[in-house]
Amino acid sequence: MPAVAKAKKKSDGEKKNNSRLVEIAKSLLKNKLSVIGLTIIALIVLTAIFSPFITSYGPYEQNLGSTKLGIGSEGHFLGTDNYGRDMWSRIVHGAVISLLVGLCSVGLGLLGGVILGLLAGYYRNLDGIIMRIVDLLFAFPGILLAMLIIAMLGTSLVNVVIAISIWSIPGCARIVRGSVLSIKKQEYILAMRSVGASDWRILFKHILPNCTAPLIVFGTMRMATAILSTSALSYLGLGAQPPTAEWGAMIAAGQDFMWEAPHIAIIPGIAIMLTVFSFNVVGDGLRDALDPNMDVNH
Amino acid sequence: MNKRKFLGLAFFLVAGLLVISGCSSEGSGGESTGDGEAPTEITYATTSDAAGLSPIDTNDSVSSNVTYQVYETLFTQNPETLEPEPLLAESYETPDDNTWVIKLKEDITFHDGTPFNAEAVKYTFEQLKDPDRAAPRASLLEPVESIEVQDEYTVVLKTEEPYGPMLAALSHTNAAIVSPTADKEGNINKEPVGTGPFVFEEWVEGDQITLKRNEDYWREPSEIETVTFKVVPETSTAISMLETGEVQFIDAVPSDHISRVESLNGVEVQKSEGTRVSYLGFNMEKEPFNDPEFRQAVAYGVNQESYVSQLNGLGIHNESIIGPKVFGYNEEATSAAYEYDPEKAKQMIQDNGYEGQEVTLLAANRDNYMKMAEIVQSQLTEIGINASIETMEWASFLDTARQGDYEMTFLGWANSTADGSELLYPNLHSDNIGSSNYSRYSNSEFDNLVEESRTIVDQELRKEKLHEANLLAMEKVPWVVMNHGVVTLAYDESVEGLVVDPTGMWSLYPVSRK
Repeated sequence: MPAVAKAKKKSDGEKKNNSRLVEIAKSLLKNKLSVIGLTIIALIVLTAIFSPFITSYGPYEQNLGSTKLGIGSEGHFLGTDNYGRDMWSRIVHGAVISLLVGLCSVGLGLLGGVILGLLAGYYRNLDGIIMRIVDLLFAFPGILLAMLIIAMLGTSLVNVVIAISIWSIPGCARIVRGSVLSIKKQEYILAMRSVGASDWRILFKHILPNCTAPLIVFGTMRMATAILSTSALSYLGLGAQPPTAEWGAMIAAGQDFMWEAPHIAIIPGIAIMLTVFSFNVVGDGLRDALDPNMDVNH
Repeated sequence: MNKRKFLGLAFFLVAGLLVISGCSSEGSGGESTGDGEAPTEITYATTSDAAGLSPIDTNDSVSSNVTYQVYETLFTQNPETLEPEPLLAESYETPDDNTWVIKLKEDITFHDGTPFNAEAVKYTFEQLKDPDRAAPRASLLEPVESIEVQDEYTVVLKTEEPYGPMLAALSHTNAAIVSPTADKEGNINKEPVGTGPFVFEEWVEGDQITLKRNEDYWREPSEIETVTFKVVPETSTAISMLETGEVQFIDAVPSDHISRVESLNGVEVQKSEGTRVSYLGFNMEKEPFNDPEFRQAVAYGVNQESYVSQLNGLGIHNESIIGPKVFGYNEEATSAAYEYDPEKAKQMIQDNGYEGQEVTLLAANRDNYMKMAEIVQSQLTEIGINASIETMEWASFLDTARQGDYEMTFLGWANSTADGSELLYPNLHSDNIGSSNYSRYSNSEFDNLVEESRTIVDQELRKEKLHEANLLAMEKVPWVVMNHGVVTLAYDESVEGLVVDPTGMWSLYPVSRK
């Protein structure tokens, strides 16, 4: 009997959540740009997942007999690069890398940022120390901070993930802290405390769920930054090492051939542009959908 | 943005563009002379600035390009035959194997008025050998024991042991004769003074070096009046400048850019076989690279021909370590290498239990090293070796490679004396492990052959010894030769008489413009 009651209660909660989700989805779908962005992201994710089935060449398979084939060549509809590797396979493989690096670094960054933000916002005595460290991290321009971290750790994709996640921490921490500061003064938190709920419970069960809206927006926007930064670092030779099919590294390798075979550099450039654009517009749309106050401004 | 604002902005942008294009066309138009007289200035674009302008204190091709026009050597290499010929010297004789008596040309003066004589030669060579000065190419005259002035125009070099490559060494740009007065009183590394056809005028560091014609040159003065060496870090920018006429010539065109240069109107391209050799080197002190079977398998597995096909004609496939344009080459060596045979390579890798062996290819991110690394990495994967690539910027790469902190790497040697002893001794003789012998190759039989090639004066016999040493090294594979170089020059069609040597050097003395 109690199990049934619990299940019922849960489904009530779900229903409530569902209606909220539907509302968000509706307002998101009203925004045409977001719809385009979502479609592109969905396509990229699908190509990444099914990459082995939609490419007929390996991304590292060289064919020195047919290098720098143009777009629309037989068997290589996006052409080949300077080592005769199929551009389509490399772009698709690059999507896998970009999405993975983006997800990992944003995930790690959010994790670190949320913990620091919750602690700083909730405990006054930790606030000073944590926020000063965050300010210190903010003092560096983002890409410079990432380059500094990579200079210390060495060049590799894993270190790029670490660098970008460290770079994401301060922004996230500040957002969470702000939310915590406003939420912890609400009466229901006071009520929880008077009932004797532990700090842990209050922080993670009652305060954190109320921070999700800004976090989702931040995370989506951050995906765009993370993918762009990974490419930028790889372009500079600090990230993925050749022959890795990473978009930024592909542009770096292709720029020598801008005159005779511009597609080698331009195609990965377009891939980066589309992905970053999509994450940004979806982020924008999400912010509008999640924040009712935004309507006032429009 | 409303329409009017947009139009305003568009107008502003177009106006700006017009102003900019007006400025630049004026700039390039100013160079042509109105009355149809041929221009007498020439500008060369280089990707980096010279390190210094003293032949004693530098050892890099960018600096040599400048010093080659300002200073002269006692002997010079004939670009056709590669045999040394007298330049500042008149003649020479060798009364015995350890003595070189060199007669000098008379009535030559340095740009500062100092007379060129035996004292100047003695001074220059002693400076080159002086341990306190630490000249980077001191090794050129390392076997020379004493330098004596016999009379005003005769100098006598005595060696401890016979020194075969003496004339090649004396033809090297870093053995050029400097003005003793200028060196004692000033800094010839900043303000060079030689006997050459061009006089130093000005050096704006990081920007350009200007030379003027030497009006009192001991031969006919050059037809070119002003020479400018301009620093243009980006090759593609340099090519655009060549196209617009801002520079008249560039050299060492990278293979990825050559097709663009060849398609330019009014630009001629000169390509000829060079002395440079590029190779894949093993670190012989590490496992499994000390196993000859492993190295042979790699040699069988690397397909140089497919690599060379990617160089757009700027490379020659020949697996001999001593290249066809270098003294000591014998055609027999061409067929002595491990020819591409992936099946055999795979078999050898399997038989010796190296399947799936992890190796790291260290590659510098310049020239064609990255290209070699990517192609070799893919070819090694095919024969069952898991190779990954580590890239480095040039300076840290050189440090890492010199310390032997690598497994396999790609390097090149310019062979600027075009003498095989000067290739095998620094790069593969066990004396030079820790300095220029990056592969840390040590083989006493090979060492002996190379030493003999250096101490024999009979040139035919030297050639035989070098050939023997070459074959031995090719058999033991401390290197897998990737390609031999092709030297290039791209110049405006108004330039005449510019010729590039197999070593990549060029002299502006015979050049004129029409």
